Formats: sequence, C-alpha cells, structure tokens
Amino acid sequence: MATLASERKQFITPGLISWLMMIGILLTIGLVSAFEVFTKGLIITNMTDLVPWGLWITVDLSSIALGAGAFTLSAVVYLLGLKRFVPIVRLAVFVGFIGYTSALLTLVMDIGRPDRFWHPWVYWNVHSVLWEITWCITLYLTIMVMEFAPVIFEAPFFDRWPWLRKVGHFLHVITPAFALLGLGVSLLHQSSLGATYGIVKSRPIWFKPSMPIMFILSAVSVGPSLTMAVAFLLEWVGGKRLIEHSILRTIAKASGFGLLAYAYLKFWDLAAVTYYGQTPAVNAALHLLSTQTPYNFGFWVGEIIIGILLPVVFFLHPRFNKRPAFLVLGAFMAIAGVIMNRWNVTVSGLTVPLSYSPGTQYVLPAGQYFPSLAEWGVVVGIIGYALLMLTLGVKFLPLFNKEEQHHA
Amino acid sequence: MSKKKTVKVELTRRDFLVIAGTAVGSVAAAQVLTTGPLSPFGSLKQDQLETGESVHEGTSSPYHWGMVIDLDKCIGCEYCLRACTATNDVEPERTWNIVVEEKNSAGNTFYFSRPCLHCQDAPCVEVCPVKATYVRDDGLVIMDYTRCIGCRYCEVACPYDARKFNWEERTDENIYAPTWGTPEVERRPRGVIEKCTFCVHRIDRGLEQGLIPGEARESTPACVNICPVEARVFGNLKDPESTVSKIIAESATFRLREELGTEPSVYYIPPKEGL
Repeated sequence: MATLASERKQFITPGLISWLMMIGILLTIGLVSAFEVFTKGLIITNMTDLVPWGLWITVDLSSIALGAGAFTLSAVVYLLGLKRFVPIVRLAVFVGFIGYTSALLTLVMDIGRPDRFWHPWVYWNVHSVLWEITWCITLYLTIMVMEFAPVIFEAPFFDRWPWLRKVGHFLHVITPAFALLGLGVSLLHQSSLGATYGIVKSRPIWFKPSMPIMFILSAVSVGPSLTMAVAFLLEWVGGKRLIEHSILRTIAKASGFGLLAYAYLKFWDLAAVTYYGQTPAVNAALHLLSTQTPYNFGFWVGEIIIGILLPVVFFLHPRFNKRPAFLVLGAFMAIAGVIMNRWNVTVSGLTVPLSYSPGTQYVLPAGQYFPSLAEWGVVVGIIGYALLMLTLGVKFLPLFNKEEQHHA
Repeated sequence: MSKKKTVKVELTRRDFLVIAGTAVGSVAAAQVLTTGPLSPFGSLKQDQLETGESVHEGTSSPYHWGMVIDLDKCIGCEYCLRACTATNDVEPERTWNIVVEEKNSAGNTFYFSRPCLHCQDAPCVEVCPVKATYVRDDGLVIMDYTRCIGCRYCEVACPYDARKFNWEERTDENIYAPTWGTPEVERRPRGVIEKCTFCVHRIDRGLEQGLIPGEARESTPACVNICPVEARVFGNLKDPESTVSKIIAESATFRLREELGTEPSVYYIPPKEGL
C-alpha cells in the first residue's frame, strides 16, 4: 500500500499539473467554439458558398493521414513479419486511434446536420467516394479498437474481470487478421480521400488521376514518422528509454524513402499538369493562384522544401539520422508539409472560380477564405483532445510493454 | 568436353490440371470482365458512344422535363430570379437563378441566366454520401432535405454553381413576396443544401390534375411564367410535339460545358450574332 501511495505522489508532478492545465485551456477554447457553432450554425465560420470547405476539412484529412502509422507499422509487423518493430506497434495504433477520432470530431463540427451523422451507414450511395470513406473510417476505427483492446485489458483496473483478459488474449492471437483487414481498409480510404478531389471534373487543379496516389504515399511516409517523433518526445519527457533508438532510426529512414517516392510522383505530376498536359483551364487556374494567393510559396516552401527535402535529408543522411533532435524536427517538418498540402489542395482548388459561362465577360469572383475565430477555436480544442488522449494513454495504458517482445 | 546437362520437365497430372484450370479460368474471367455486368466499361453503352445520347433516356417515365433559354430574347430584367425567389422562398443573397450581363466575342452585350440544369449524369448526385439528392425518372434532380447531412460535397462538385447551403436558420423577410409571387414551399432548415427544383411541386400537382406542365401555367415553373419576352420555355423533352422539343429540333442550341458529360436538361439558344 505504501509503495502505491508513494508512486501516486510521484505521479502528480508540478510539470504534469501545468501540462494538464494547458490542455484544459485548449479544451475550454474548443468547447466554447463548438457551442457557438452548434447554436449559431456554420454562418460563424468564414466558409461561403464559393468556398464551402476550409480549415476543418484540412484538419480531417491531415489527422487521418497522420494516423497512417497505425496500419503501416501493423502491416510491417504482422504481415511482413518484421518482429523487430513489435515494441512500437502499440504506440502506433494508439496514435492512429487519436488521429482518427480527432478527424471524426472535426467532421461532426463541419457537417451542417451533426444530428444526422449516422445517415451514411443507413442510406447508401455506393457511387460516392465520401460514402466509401465514411464506411472505411468507421470500420478501421473498429479494427483499431479491436487491435488495441488487449492493451486496455492489461491495465490493472481490469484485474477484477478475468474473462476480459481471455477476450483480450483471443483478440491478440487474431491480430494478424486485423492487420490485414486494416491494411485493406486503410489503403482504400487513405487514397479515396485524394479521390474526393481527383474525381471532381469541373475543378481544373483537382481533376487528375494522381490525386489518390499522392495522398496515400504522403500518408504512408509521414504517418509512421509521427509515431517515431512521439516516441522520442515521450522519452525526453519521461527521462527513460521506451523504444530502442535503432527501431526509431529505421522508421525515420523508411519515412525518408517514402518521401522520396512521394517527391518523385509529385515531380511527374507537376510536369504533366504544367508542361506536357497543360490545358487552358489549368493554366488559367494556376495563373490566378500564383498572382492572387500565396499558392506558389505554400507549394514550394511548405510542401516541397519543408515538407519533403529537409525531412529527407534529416531522415536519410547518417549525420542527422543518428541525432534524435533532427529526427523529431524532420518529422514535424514532414507533418507541416502534409498539412500544407491538404490545405493547398482544398482551399486553392475552391479559390479558382468555376467556369461555365457561355460568354467572355462573366466569371465568378475568385473565392476568398481565411478561417474565422470559431474555426480556429474548434481546431485548438481538437489539439487539446489529442494531447489529453495521449497523456491519459501514456499514464494509464501499458503502451510500452517489454513482455510483448518475448511474446512475439 | 563439358558435361551435357539434360533438363527434365516433369509434368504431373496435378500440374496439368492446374495449368488447364488457370487457362479456362482466365478465359472465363476475361469474358465476364469485358462483356458482363462486372465490366468496368459496362456503363459505356455502345449507342451512347455513337450518338451521345443520355444513359437515362431509357427510363420508364414518359416525361423528361427540360428548358430552353433563348439568350437572344433575354433582356436581363431579372423577373425570373425574383419570381423564383418569391415562390420558392429563397434567400435573396443566395438565389437559385442567376442573371448576368455578358459580352460575346464581338463585344456586344447579351444576358445570361441559369437555373439548375437538372443534369442526367449529375456530378452532385454521384458524390452525395447519403443519396439525399437523386435524378428522378422524369429527369428532375431533387433534394431530400430530411436526409441531407450538410457535407457540401455536392456544392463543391456541381460544375455550374447551382447549389447553395443554409449556413444559418433563416429569419430574413421574403422581399419579393407578394409582388412577384407567394411562397409555395417551406423554407429549408439550417444545415442542408438547396437548389432550383424546376418548381417540382407545380409539376407534380399539375400532372395529378391532368394539366400539361409547360402549357398550363399552374404547373409551369415560376421563372417561365413571368418571363416578359418568352425567353424561357419549359416542357417535356421526350414528347416530340412539345414546344421545347420543337424549338430544339428547329434551332441551333447548346448546353453548358457539354464536354463534361453531365447531360444537362437546359438548352440555350445563342444570340443571333453568335457567342
């Protein structure tokens, strides 16, 4: 009993309290903003009929992409059989779970009728990519819960229900099946998120077959690097080594190669769109974007230099790969790049006005959009939610169980 | 000098059966995938490729409601916009119809107006995750306000900017009523998408009463009734004797962004001196 009490004393440190207070502030901001949105409607956002999607969709897409570490590392361990990575799978799945639930929370804020969030499950339109995405995300969330349930049941709290442990063990045994299902479902929806844009034939800078592939490639390369960064950060905060650095370095390397593949595809996409396959509509759209918006800066500096080139150097060059600080910095740069990309795709695509006029005079005005205070507030709240979940998980769940290594 | 190696190919009965089975299976799969209902090209019907006719022409309904807008006649008075806004109780900031002044390549002014085009291969219908919008057998693209979740994907996907979102609970006054008409439908709730319906309530009620939409005023869209110069004509595209069909048969018409393959039900007559 005495040891338990002393442990508890250690448990609540001034640092933790101020951390939790900060999370509390973030969550309060989020809740107040969400309340405003629910009572007044989406009118308090800066979205309009010309730009009906904005910051929230960007956050949705980004958090799902960043959750991609879960299925990637699960597949690496349970399907490719690389048991070396077993120690990080739990953390990866947990980070993925946080990403996906954050996305769902944002989505509920974004739709006009949150009370009808369940409609896609009941009223099917099998032709709609958005319908398919909703289904895949729900399914994948379920898979992640199943994959993660054994970890939760390991917590001392569940000592009193031994049968739960048996369920947990069974779920653990069939984990490879979940990994396979998760891989399939994730490959589907991670790319369909790109298809959401890629299929819209009236929007010149969206309508191209490379969209889904670029989305999945960026998700698969950046998602695991987030897990890697989280592992390093937790180590620095807790002061004890949780996961072997060689594992984290290998993940960084894999992310680096993934980013190179992504860059390669982006190069040919750019060449096709602006050079070989240029059409008047795409030319006009890109001209408008480069003269009226910071699109070019966002693309070259945000997506390419910060999002791809620098992380690739940090992840792959031996000089930086050995130093955790650079790996974490690289991961955050790659994450910023993905967020920048999703923003650029969403908002820039909508900024370019539709052109359907038969004459030469009339064109719709270029869309104008910058998120409102309420939109930022909700996003701040979502970040608070993600940090709270991570903190609770680290405190109460055996995310880094050494036994696991022998087990597998 | 060198030893000769002989390669023996052993073919067991099992190998033979596997190879034969694979061959037969591939042929069958190829057959199914190229001609069967599973074929990825199944939706490209031969007749469609040849004539450019809509896939939906073969629906059971005897009606396909459509409109002709004569850009040569239009004077840009915006009466259609006002009558529509009054009748369908639309927010004046987000009208279903638009009327804009344009210039043709000769630099002369003409007026362009646009309702919902009621596409037969509508991008908005394809993307809706809950089938809250659909193409009816009679060609009308209709919204189910009780099913829409307000994701606004249709608004993003529509090539013609015809869809509008209810960003808030409306409290505005109908500024065009009663001068331009009286509201005949309920206001849409907050959080759903809305758009021009071709005054579907008039069409459906008119048909019940044995009226012919496009001929009887009570069952014709408000914008068509009010047009002072008869620039808008409405009727059944499937009936070769209807006014719309005759106009389309007799004059040169075009549809907006035909290259997208959306098959709009609204035809335009260009100004006499061209576009």
